[in-house]
Amino acid sequence: MVPRSAYLHVPFCRHRCGYCNFAVVAGRLDLARRYLAAIERELSWLETPRPVETLYFGGGTPTQLLPADFARLAECVLKWHPLLPGAEWTVEANPADINAEYLRLLVQLGVTRLSLGSQSFSAHKLKLLERDHAPEQIAWVVAEAQSLGLPVSLDLIFATPGETLAEWQVDLTAALALGPQHISTYELTFEKGTNFWSRRLRGELVGADEELQRAMYELAIDTLNSAGFEHYEVSNYALPGHRSRHNETYWMGNEYLAAGPGAARYLNGVRETNHRSTTTYLKRMLAGESPVAERDELSPEGRARECLVFGLRRLDGVSRHAFQEHTSFSLDELAGPKLREFVQLGLLTDDGECIKLTREGLMICDALGPALL
Amino acid sequence: MASVPPPSPAPQPAKKKKGVEGPRDPKFIRNFSIVAHIDHGKSTLADRLLELTGTYSKREMKEQMLDDMELERQRGITIKARAVSMKYVYQGQEFELNLIDTPGHVDFQYEVSRSLACCEGAVLLVDAFQGVEAQTMANAYQAIEHDLEIVPVINKIDLVHARIDEVKQEMEQTLGIDPDIVLGCSGKTGLKCDEVLAAVIDRVPAPAGDPNAPLQAMVFDSVYDEFRGAVTYVRIMNGTVKKGQRIRFLQAGTTHDVVELGQLAPQRTQREFLSAGQVGYLICNIKSLGHVHIGDTVTVADGEQAEPLPGYHEPQRMVFCGLYPSDGQDFEQLREALGKLSINDPSFDFEPETSDALGFGFRCGFLGLLHMEIIQQRLEGEADIDLVQTAPNVTYRITKHDGEEIEVHTPQRVPDLGEIAEFRQPIVRVNFVLPTDYIGGIMKLCSDRRGTFVRQEYLSPTRAMLVYDLALADVVYDMHDKLKSITRGYGTMDYELRGYEPGELVRLDILVKNERIDALSIVCDKRDAETRGRAVIKKLKTEIPRHMFEVPLQAAIGTRVIARETISAMRKNVIAKCYGGDISRKRKLMEKQKEGKKRMKSIGSVDIPQKAFLAVLETGEDDKR
Repeated sequence: MVPRSAYLHVPFCRHRCGYCNFAVVAGRLDLARRYLAAIERELSWLETPRPVETLYFGGGTPTQLLPADFARLAECVLKWHPLLPGAEWTVEANPADINAEYLRLLVQLGVTRLSLGSQSFSAHKLKLLERDHAPEQIAWVVAEAQSLGLPVSLDLIFATPGETLAEWQVDLTAALALGPQHISTYELTFEKGTNFWSRRLRGELVGADEELQRAMYELAIDTLNSAGFEHYEVSNYALPGHRSRHNETYWMGNEYLAAGPGAARYLNGVRETNHRSTTTYLKRMLAGESPVAERDELSPEGRARECLVFGLRRLDGVSRHAFQEHTSFSLDELAGPKLREFVQLGLLTDDGECIKLTREGLMICDALGPALL
Repeated sequence: MASVPPPSPAPQPAKKKKGVEGPRDPKFIRNFSIVAHIDHGKSTLADRLLELTGTYSKREMKEQMLDDMELERQRGITIKARAVSMKYVYQGQEFELNLIDTPGHVDFQYEVSRSLACCEGAVLLVDAFQGVEAQTMANAYQAIEHDLEIVPVINKIDLVHARIDEVKQEMEQTLGIDPDIVLGCSGKTGLKCDEVLAAVIDRVPAPAGDPNAPLQAMVFDSVYDEFRGAVTYVRIMNGTVKKGQRIRFLQAGTTHDVVELGQLAPQRTQREFLSAGQVGYLICNIKSLGHVHIGDTVTVADGEQAEPLPGYHEPQRMVFCGLYPSDGQDFEQLREALGKLSINDPSFDFEPETSDALGFGFRCGFLGLLHMEIIQQRLEGEADIDLVQTAPNVTYRITKHDGEEIEVHTPQRVPDLGEIAEFRQPIVRVNFVLPTDYIGGIMKLCSDRRGTFVRQEYLSPTRAMLVYDLALADVVYDMHDKLKSITRGYGTMDYELRGYEPGELVRLDILVKNERIDALSIVCDKRDAETRGRAVIKKLKTEIPRHMFEVPLQAAIGTRVIARETISAMRKNVIAKCYGGDISRKRKLMEKQKEGKKRMKSIGSVDIPQKAFLAVLETGEDDKR
């Protein structure tokens, strides 16, 4: 199958937040020129343009680039990945550094979706997370984008140190009040190599306990559901017609192209990840060397199993028919007994065609993975 | 016990060996051992004696030359007996001094007794600071029982904290040793070690025995040499053994040709013959140590044969545990590894057993706890197999109502309560030597374990000996650790088997998600069952990871549940973020978790980590305090 999705990683950030372990460089916009050159070169290796149905500019903070640089980048990407009719193009943005002019530029270029790193509406929580924006800035950007007809997705983080269920409810309510089309909720994780990780080791930060995490997660599901949002993936909620089609390709096991530091592509059954260090990526690209740092190739069965495990993250579940079509493996032959066991335990439902996580299964769905792989 | 073979013999000088001149007059032979508590400096003194007699020069000297087994060096203890032959000119006369090194641990008591039977004297070595300890006494008593001449020596007299007079007093008090004949030396610096040699020659009687009588030799040890097979260590009691001779092992009933014989000096040094009074080795093309029985008597295969020497018996396995490969695929590999170990160490044995929970494995018998640890370490070191070890247990003797008598080495074979008429367990007599301050603590420990007080003696105003009869099972579990913790490391202990006595014993079963896990059954006193049961399942609760469902844990005697706990189901386990680049990473993590699960034992639908099988060692006593 020809990939119809492409991801572009823009590594620039004003500063690195304490919890972040993404492939970013903070305060190094001086690298923008070389970055643009590197992307141009990496994309040129595609040799022929690859039209896409979804395009995603993630980061980092793509809107850290100066508008002119962003326009040049967009031009180059669209040359290699022209948008098919009805395509979705998402750009991530930080509320602190986007203005009306920039928003207009995005719309002009053809961006169809703005993903805003809002994280919280509590000044205290934003400070703890080391974010550089104020709650009011989020509201302004959302309103401005909506007025330009640009649908917005808000990212929210929960289970931060010291956060209560009531505070989380306030965040959810505030997010809904702005009328976004899409919301993603992420439980705070402590990743190795981040400041938060070492601060937790030193006992300065204490994560929420499991019961609170669960209560917060369930609160998000229930609150957003009753506001008309469809919970379509573990962390993602959308008004009808506003799912992130790009992200769905990941969970459905479809292939995708990618460029930029730390970016991962999935092509001909092989997943490749570019070097996470921006400087290394640039050095390699500009020397004409491959930027790939990791290569993950699975057997057809391995791919099918992966497809099952990650497919279950979608609340629509995995359909036997589509699975067979997509992987040429029979779901029941691959994992029948395990699936029946999970159904018996009340973690999955099975209507004969489709298996889906139950609420209980959703809560512990990472524990199902090892049994199904 | 197995050991690394000594380095191959050094090239011999071309000149004729002295041995050809004729048998050495027993008058000029002394056979002795050094007995001491662990760490009192036995090996260091032995090194000095080797050096003084020129057997080994300082330059060639490896620290603690005699303990040539890696494990022994690591632990600083002697597991294997050794016999080194030294030549020493004393007052113008050359003497052959044979130092027979004995194992220092109670597990190897029988080997100790056989080694002592080859000696006429023993250097009783006591640390100038530590004083008399449990093993000092156990070993000294053994030496006295064997009618050995005791040469009492206080070691480490150069220590700043040496308390020589008090230690002399302790030796007098406990062992009736005349303080006037106690020597002092420092094995570390060599100070006065020559006086020890002189005392050995002056005080230890020369061996009796007739070089012309029929051959009678005692096997006191054997080691396995990869190239030569079994190397048998013997003391010639009577007669003479020559190279090329055909000999017979009286207990084993086997005959062999002597391919090579000689003495350790300290490497193997060939001789033409060994005669009455001498100590040396025989190599007879024996493929397995299993064919060489310690305590056996060697005589000639043809012609006039000697009587068997007294005191022989089979090794007694006191402690048992199950060893199972984590991965059932490794069963054959484990069998092979155990077989290889038993060639080196016939005192350890194993037989296949099956467990519902653990599958196919082996029930292994050991001389004692230390022996068990040694074997396990060797197994881990030499064979790369992931093992599940069940908790150690002892042998029980059970009389059933139908009159049948059975001996069980594993709790899972204990019949149901209703079938048992009498349930007997091994009882040991334990000697504790400890500072008087801790007497109360140890007495409480022993009475908690329902020990029978035998006696209490003061070795000195500050040190005492307590003697209790206790169930071996209790001693095996954690007595040594408890003693060390109660006495802050100053207490020592030693024990010997007294026999089997009836007890109020029950088989305590552990049920995980309503299934009895046979490998977790234990035998314990009825009165401890509730505490033990609670402690075990409490421990299990911490060892068994949470599952996607509730896991109830129960401890039961028969059908009566005496304790229960529940491992609650997992509440939340899902990472929120999962996009393009996360998928490979996340899948690899899940694959790793899957591997981890594989190393656990899956029973029913519950994954039980290997460590959990040792949960049954929990006594629950710490909770009572």
